[in-house]
Amino acid sequence: MTDFTRREAFRLVAGSVGVASGLVAMPSILRAADYPTRPINVIVPFATGGYNDRLSRAFAPYLEKELGQPLVIVNKPGAGTQLGNSYALNQPADGYSILCTSAAPYIPLTVLLQNAPYKVEDFSMLNLPSRDYTLAATSSDSPIKTFAEVIEKLQADPGSLSIGVQPASADYANMVLAFQAAKIDPSKLRIVTYDGGGPARNATAGAQVDVGFVGGEGFLPLVSKIRPLAIFAEETVDWYPDAPLIGASGLKVDFVEGSQRGWVVTTKLKKEQPEIFKFLSGALERASKNPKAIEALKLQQLATTWYGPEASEKAYLANADKMAKYIDLMK
Amino acid sequence: MIDVSAFHDALGIMFASAGSWGWIVPGLIIGLIFSAIPGISITMAMAIVLPMSLYMDFFPAIVFLTSVYTGAGFGGSVPAILMNIPGTPSSFATTFDGFAMSQKGLHNEALGHALFASTICGIFGYVLLLLLIEPLADIVLRIGPLEMFAVAIWGMLLLGSLGSTYISRGLLAAAFGVLLGTVGMNTAGFTRGTLGIPVLLDGISPIPAMIGLLAAGQLLGLAGRDYIIDADGAREVSIRRILAGCWGTLKYPGVLLRGSIIGVVIGAVPGVGSSIGNLIAYAETKRTAKDSATFGTGNPKGVIAAESAVASGEGGSMATMLALGIPGGGATAILIAAFMMHNIVPGPGLIQSQKPMVYAIILNNMVQATVLLAVGVAFIYVAANVVKVRTRYVLPSVLVVATLGTYAVTGEIAGPITLFIFALLGFALSRYEYPIPAVVVGILLGRMLETEFLRSYQISGGDPLYLFQRPGAVAIVGVMVASLGMTAWSKRKQRRAEAAEEAALLRQLEQDKVPAPPRASAIKG
Repeated sequence: MTDFTRREAFRLVAGSVGVASGLVAMPSILRAADYPTRPINVIVPFATGGYNDRLSRAFAPYLEKELGQPLVIVNKPGAGTQLGNSYALNQPADGYSILCTSAAPYIPLTVLLQNAPYKVEDFSMLNLPSRDYTLAATSSDSPIKTFAEVIEKLQADPGSLSIGVQPASADYANMVLAFQAAKIDPSKLRIVTYDGGGPARNATAGAQVDVGFVGGEGFLPLVSKIRPLAIFAEETVDWYPDAPLIGASGLKVDFVEGSQRGWVVTTKLKKEQPEIFKFLSGALERASKNPKAIEALKLQQLATTWYGPEASEKAYLANADKMAKYIDLMK
Repeated sequence: MIDVSAFHDALGIMFASAGSWGWIVPGLIIGLIFSAIPGISITMAMAIVLPMSLYMDFFPAIVFLTSVYTGAGFGGSVPAILMNIPGTPSSFATTFDGFAMSQKGLHNEALGHALFASTICGIFGYVLLLLLIEPLADIVLRIGPLEMFAVAIWGMLLLGSLGSTYISRGLLAAAFGVLLGTVGMNTAGFTRGTLGIPVLLDGISPIPAMIGLLAAGQLLGLAGRDYIIDADGAREVSIRRILAGCWGTLKYPGVLLRGSIIGVVIGAVPGVGSSIGNLIAYAETKRTAKDSATFGTGNPKGVIAAESAVASGEGGSMATMLALGIPGGGATAILIAAFMMHNIVPGPGLIQSQKPMVYAIILNNMVQATVLLAVGVAFIYVAANVVKVRTRYVLPSVLVVATLGTYAVTGEIAGPITLFIFALLGFALSRYEYPIPAVVVGILLGRMLETEFLRSYQISGGDPLYLFQRPGAVAIVGVMVASLGMTAWSKRKQRRAEAAEEAALLRQLEQDKVPAPPRASAIKG
């Protein structure tokens, strides 16, 4: 027989359960305290060579210095980022998977148009340094000089100019909104559809179409071959100050902002591991403000502006709301 | 035309950074190996080495990446010739005569032909590029959807030269292929045939589909044999015969020239890539050849024509990239990224501000192509040994590697599933004698046909007279119709001459009143 009383035995069991449950609970606390102890995956839901891929690779050395761990770029392209987004949501919320992506327009677009099995709110923004806007442009040798001329011509005959645009995009919504504001029936326009910004830009620069509506940033290498007519932004855009604002054309237009690209995590991580979220945002802030990083990325036409999680989240949600409002124009 | 002082500076850059030449051979070997593995594309090989190049200086990095690109341009033809499975879509047309040649025991010669055709035309393409990079860039931007549609139709004409027992099944198979090519979201944003599977929104990935279709029929056909080549004595690998094949390529300067021009022009058009150039070059060579009936049964001209448009197409693609900053295909998109990662933005600005650098890159590509002549001979000498291995070892290895390759593209199981489904489809098609190449051509061209036709319709507002506002399209259609007409005319003449000859022979036989001897000896007499 042993000397254990029943009470002692109970205490022992209860204690060991307590210790065991403490051990089970420990790792997440430990993880938060020691984070990061191993390399962190950066999920880029695009193929190598795109803006987000270049941004992640160019920024990685500066971010690695702040995080104290190497970053591994994981390209998961396909289905308008839906594959990469789903992949990110399936990873454990431990801070070892972060996204570098065009949060807008792709997350809202996959939700609104492709019935993606997640919500806009399932993703939380850390920082969205790159902001792109729809640019209406013509080939540099086109007779059209201003956006007002385009409106005038189309008011007289909606079929007089061909218009190049990517369907199911913010550019398309902005094009329709502008022409509706000018009382031009969009269904009578000669719209030419392109399955990507690149082909739409080539068609604009090569005068295949009379006017192109497409994200402006991608035009930068071709800037000598085009003439900007109107950019759909509130204020002068720092990377293209020559582009006249849509407000200056005399039209009163509501518009959807273009791409918002940068660093994103799952909302699950933000809620369950607030320390990790804070740590990541702190590291990003320091890296974004590192003068060496700013200089290096500027040479590659990549953005480093620090907006922070709150402002980025606000801009992203506002953009998503606008897209939901005008989604019928994008279909 | 060429800017002499910039050219001089370019030579300076070339020799000042002679150390970077050391990256040529490793780059070529990586490119050759990756592209010779069915299922791994040039784009993927480049995507894998891109992060490596980040840690190099600019010029060595570009030399390394373009060497991979140059090597990959040829590697795809090795499995195409030896096993009838193209390593990359751009060597699809090489299978038609290349594999037939190896069946006859001429695999050494066929590989030699492919290497020299690919490399010499590649060099020729870069010479053209050096002279014409600026005007070419302007022309490329002016190529609109109607011209592209005409080019796609031209590619579809290849179907006429594929030959099948039943015309109706050939057409049906091609239509099926085009239909498969249009799966996914089209350019106007409509989704078709995705069965609710997100992966299919981007369309059926052509590489696993092509490999599945071709490999299934092919591997099942080979499974019954002991070796890829039946005849015992034919299974030799001889450097002498490879070199004889290399040398023999030079006997067809016309084929080489036509192929390179087709390759450069089509390769330069953004978004088309070299997978269509080889189809058109093959079809054109076959149509205009006097011995067109022997194409598909191991005519060396078929191999040379197909390969001549591949490497030259890369030259064209490179021109568009350097001059406009527009990628012609996946591989050049990665090159652009590599440039940008080194703070150099390709485009009109680059040519103006850094012409010597652009020339140096083009010149270095010529050097790479020349080095490839030697590295390639060694590579095919090693690779050709596959004919000595029993098929029971080769087939499972090829299947496993191809499956892994398609998995590796995205790391998604979608690639292997596509491969498997299309393998079943390929088996069914060959079982019921539907020509598989017609389906592949349809898959490769289907999307382009639809997209460009739709855009032409949108731009013109449905007015057919729009054709006459596009002199380029009229010219392409004109050349195409003239070429078809001339072929039909010469075929008819040939047939008539043959018929007349036969009639004369029969008359003579009747006059002589002798019992008709066997026909072969009658022709001899």
